[in-house]
Amino acid sequence: MTLWGLLLVMLSGCIDEYMPDAISTAKSHLVVDGFINPTGITTITLSRTYPVGLNSPPPPETKATVYIEQEGGNRYAMPETATKGTYQSASLKLDMSKPYHLRLTTAAGKQYASEYVAAKLTPPIDNVRWQAAADGLNIYVNSHDAKNTTQYYRWEYEETWEIMPPFRPLYEYNRFTRQMVPNTAGYPSICWGTAKSSAVALTKTTSLSQDIVADFPLRSLASTESPLRYRYSILVKQYAHTPEEYAYWSQLKKTTEDIGTLFDPLPSQITGNVRCLNDTEELAFGYVGAHSAAEKRIFISRSQLPGTWFINTGYEKCVPPDTIEMKYVDATFKSGLVVPIADVYSKSGGLRGYTAAGLDCIDCRKRGSAVRPVFW
Amino acid sequence: MRFLYLLLFLLLLVFSFAANAQQSQQTVSGNFNQTPFEQFVRQLEAQTKLRFYFDPKAVDSLMITLQAQNQPVEDVLALALKNKPFRFVFDEENRVFITAGLLLEPTLPDYFFQPETPQSAAANTRADDAETASSTGRSRYVSPAEFKVYELGAAGTTTGKATLAGHIREAKSGEPVIGATIYSEAPSVGTSTDQFGYYSLTLPVGRHDLKIRGIGIKNTKRQVVLRGDGKLEIEVEEDITPLKEVVIEGEKDKNVSGMQMGLEKLDIKTMRQIPTAFGETDLLRVVLTLPGVKSVGEGSTGLNVRGGATDQNLILFNGTTIYNPSHLFGFFSAFNPDILQTVELYKSAIPAKYGGRLSSVLEIKTREGNKKKFAGAGGIGPLTSRLTLEGPIVKDKAAFIISGRTSYSDWILKKLSNSSFRQSSASFYDLSGHVSSEINEKNSLYATGYLSTDRFRLASDTTYQYLNQNASLKWQYNFTNQLYGVFTGAYSHYAYDIVSEKNPVNSSRLQYGIKQSNLQADFSYFPNSRHTIDFGFSSLLYNISPGSLTPNGEKSLIRPDVLGQEKALESAVYASDRIDLTPRLSVSVGLRYSLFNALGPRDVYRYASDVAKTENSILDTVRYASGKVLATYHGPEYRLSARYSLTENTSVKASYNRTRQYIHQLTNTASVSPADTWKLSDANIRPQVGDQVSVGYYRNFKSNTVEASVETYYKSLRDFVDYKSGATLLLNHHIETDIVNALGKAYGVELMVKKLTGKINGWVSYTYSRSLVQVNAGTTAEMVNGGRFYPSNFDKPHDVTLIGNYRFSRRISTSLNFTYSTGRPITLPLAKYYVANSLRVYYSDRNAYRVPDYYRADVAINLEGSHKIKKLAHSSWTLGVYNLTGRRNPYSIYFKSENGLIKGYKLSIFGQPIPTITYNFKF
Repeated sequence: MTLWGLLLVMLSGCIDEYMPDAISTAKSHLVVDGFINPTGITTITLSRTYPVGLNSPPPPETKATVYIEQEGGNRYAMPETATKGTYQSASLKLDMSKPYHLRLTTAAGKQYASEYVAAKLTPPIDNVRWQAAADGLNIYVNSHDAKNTTQYYRWEYEETWEIMPPFRPLYEYNRFTRQMVPNTAGYPSICWGTAKSSAVALTKTTSLSQDIVADFPLRSLASTESPLRYRYSILVKQYAHTPEEYAYWSQLKKTTEDIGTLFDPLPSQITGNVRCLNDTEELAFGYVGAHSAAEKRIFISRSQLPGTWFINTGYEKCVPPDTIEMKYVDATFKSGLVVPIADVYSKSGGLRGYTAAGLDCIDCRKRGSAVRPVFW
Repeated sequence: MRFLYLLLFLLLLVFSFAANAQQSQQTVSGNFNQTPFEQFVRQLEAQTKLRFYFDPKAVDSLMITLQAQNQPVEDVLALALKNKPFRFVFDEENRVFITAGLLLEPTLPDYFFQPETPQSAAANTRADDAETASSTGRSRYVSPAEFKVYELGAAGTTTGKATLAGHIREAKSGEPVIGATIYSEAPSVGTSTDQFGYYSLTLPVGRHDLKIRGIGIKNTKRQVVLRGDGKLEIEVEEDITPLKEVVIEGEKDKNVSGMQMGLEKLDIKTMRQIPTAFGETDLLRVVLTLPGVKSVGEGSTGLNVRGGATDQNLILFNGTTIYNPSHLFGFFSAFNPDILQTVELYKSAIPAKYGGRLSSVLEIKTREGNKKKFAGAGGIGPLTSRLTLEGPIVKDKAAFIISGRTSYSDWILKKLSNSSFRQSSASFYDLSGHVSSEINEKNSLYATGYLSTDRFRLASDTTYQYLNQNASLKWQYNFTNQLYGVFTGAYSHYAYDIVSEKNPVNSSRLQYGIKQSNLQADFSYFPNSRHTIDFGFSSLLYNISPGSLTPNGEKSLIRPDVLGQEKALESAVYASDRIDLTPRLSVSVGLRYSLFNALGPRDVYRYASDVAKTENSILDTVRYASGKVLATYHGPEYRLSARYSLTENTSVKASYNRTRQYIHQLTNTASVSPADTWKLSDANIRPQVGDQVSVGYYRNFKSNTVEASVETYYKSLRDFVDYKSGATLLLNHHIETDIVNALGKAYGVELMVKKLTGKINGWVSYTYSRSLVQVNAGTTAEMVNGGRFYPSNFDKPHDVTLIGNYRFSRRISTSLNFTYSTGRPITLPLAKYYVANSLRVYYSDRNAYRVPDYYRADVAINLEGSHKIKKLAHSSWTLGVYNLTGRRNPYSIYFKSENGLIKGYKLSIFGQPIPTITYNFKF
């Protein structure tokens, strides 16, 4: 057993993090993210490509003129919303038999268009099912299309879960008066964390005799993951794709997610179906399809999961709280990043100091929103 | 004294003349007064037909005083040598031998040449003494057969030429010795044995000393008196320890005087000395150390020879084509080292006999098995164990050898960093057998069987299974001493089967298979010593099951998807003549003409001719009935080479060859992946054509113990397959829509210095080479890098390799292996962007960047058991460390979107020094 362990230690670590020196900074190009929803609100996000080494959110493309265009027909305007770079249409009811595309002109005057695509109606999700295996939770999607016309499926999901901080502070430190006062700020006792899927999840049923998606494994969580601690919810969004759009997503997944084996396909330059109309040298990224979306939400409570699971609170690093001696109180609390919780007394009965923790351990709004979601 | 005796004996036998007189009855006359003995015998020779043989040093103080008048020679001699410490004797061929002390027996006892019989104890002792006596110098073993003078052919002819032919075999096992040279020094005529150990040598009639040199055998010679065409079977002694010293004797001056260029030859003993990662002698890894051979990385045994793709190598195992030469995703080569004899890699000047692949021919030959006694060998390594058994079926006539190897390699997967590998299991085995039988002097039969299987379970729900099955039957028929033919029937089968059963609804089985049957006839004709003519024809039938996906289990909804069978016939005729125009200039002129017919039954899509092939440009489908030809390609393949000797130890060589390839491996991963398939040319996929010009300069130093060579080449490749972005290679009913034809060019210089004798031996090579690809067909979107030439995946311009061995004694030797090369090209991201809730990367032009340079050092120490010839088993231990410095040589660098962010990683296959220990035995 020792030998085994030794071998593992000796030979492991063959994958190291690596960032090559200065890859020549390329020109920044337009990125179009979103799809035309013929039966609802269409949301498109415009941003730009930026250097790999940069640690910032993607630069939004603001003040562009964006509209949906039916082939040889109507245009539907998509004004920019309060979120910079996000453009939204009104709730639409488009003719499903016509092809659509997206047209846009940037503030710099570059004109772009996506290719005309056929609108596809997404079949409803039959069910979202979960199963508790020994080492964690697996969530599956089931769907079908009796008319055998969907065949290409893609999913996204949005998870929401309850967060309960481990401490309720009794005191609050007033930086200006340097006084410890009873807590009036009122940190919330419960918040809701949310996350969106980041991996491309897709499947096709073309090799099957029926258009059935059976138990597509969409998400798995380890039995210790904190979102499962109290109550967890997942909203699954299903999209039906054309073969072309499916090929785009599948290709994107292959070149950006499924790599790192000995048999990686060679990375290829994949862009999408958006082209710049007045500058052929200018690239654009993203695929704008036209399809409706089907949604399904499920909830999973702690009581439904195996009692043997030891689920983390997510606040493991916060307990036990530190004790701050009186003489350090001002130095510790004046920044506001560390917050007092309760008073601590010495054996003789004198005030010795205060227990304290980082703001992240106390204010669950650092990890989610304190506003109860409408569906909760 | 015995030494002198033998030395004298050898000296005496160097010259011989035939005459028929009754020697001792001849008479002589003369007056001699204090005449030196030498002068005395010259006078006697002048008056008679006798020849006198003696050691001049022994007689230099011998003075003769006598008078003779028509007296018989015998009496005169008796008188001359009276009271002198010399004896004389006459033989039947008018020779007189003068010896000091002992009397020479001019005719040998019959048992002299059968040292194994007890009666010949005396002869044995003599031979042994000879060995001891000469052991201070080079390892030269004197076989009793060396003393015998073989008379061949019907007597009578005294002028003209005669052909001597036969086999050179290893005395202990009766196995043929391949590539041994047999030559006469005066006149300078020589040849080397072919794959059957066969040689044919045309010499002037008369007396010749034939020297025999070869890899792993002790140097020997034979004395022949050639009177007409004859047969001479030669048995030679094996050199038991793997001494490089012996290797050089076989290869000596071949570098300079041999016709062949771009040929790398390895014998199993050389291969054994090179340290490997898993302690096991690995043929393909050794081939990868040769100049001009590259691979994408350590996890791959795919060979890229002089800028060629991995599918452009013809790998022949005793004449059958091996489609998957590796085990365990390329970590092991699929050949058991114990059964191997030699490996030859032709990088340029490919002989006309071979065809069907563009870049190289890797010919692997097995041993024939011991024809004298039952023997075995084996080895125990960290991942595999192997066992070989061999022995006679009919003593001296027929033998078998069978060799098996199996793995217990699961633990290596556990140490790989990829988590799906860690949850996996893998096992493989291979089995090869060979039977050889010499039916009579004219007919020999050889049969080979080969089976290798791999089985993996990946991440507990996918099972991969690979299978190679090969068989060949060769019949060699000697028409005359100057002409023989080899008729070969061979069968190759490669298949894989991938079962995926994660989800019962999608549970499926994917299968692929290729079967190849070929018949060929190869003739070798040696009309005279200036010509060596090879000619023949071959026909090869392919039958491919290009892929099928079928449901696995009752719940599975998988719709069966079966691609139609592919069939084709590839035929070729060839002829080549190697002509020695002058002793300095030799040329080899060859032509191969190949013809390829793609055969029905098949449905073939026809595409609009002037646009790129896409699903939308399909015009119609043409159905071809069974056996109907749906596409034909044919063309000449030129094979020309020439050698000119500038001096005795320098030469220049040049060659040009064209090759054509009708079968393509479909792969768009950096290293050959387990699910890659082979596809035949058809109506929509053209054959690949390659041309190579190569020039080299060769020089040997220090009496041929150091060889140096410089070879340069330029190669162009047409119509090899490349892929559009996102190509689907599996189960694609119209693969031609995803394929683009690529152009390639490769050029380079290979420098090599070899020292193969002495305590320190090995080689150093430096290669500068480039390998570039251009995809400039179809629409702009299909072009790669805008239609410009770009570096191929294995374009590593600088490469330095050192293979060194140091022999402390005959029992302890060490090896050091050092490799440096430029990092391989990769595609790096230029920018990132945010789509579908995650950052994604946008890639640069293909292969625009490189991974950091590669270097690695390995060491091994080889401990041999004692070298007693008579011993139950010979054993040896090999201890080695692979990647001594533990450098994490990057195999790939990749960027992955994880949890919405981009992370860059460097994947190294062997990130630490890997110690190994292997035990080998032989009985």
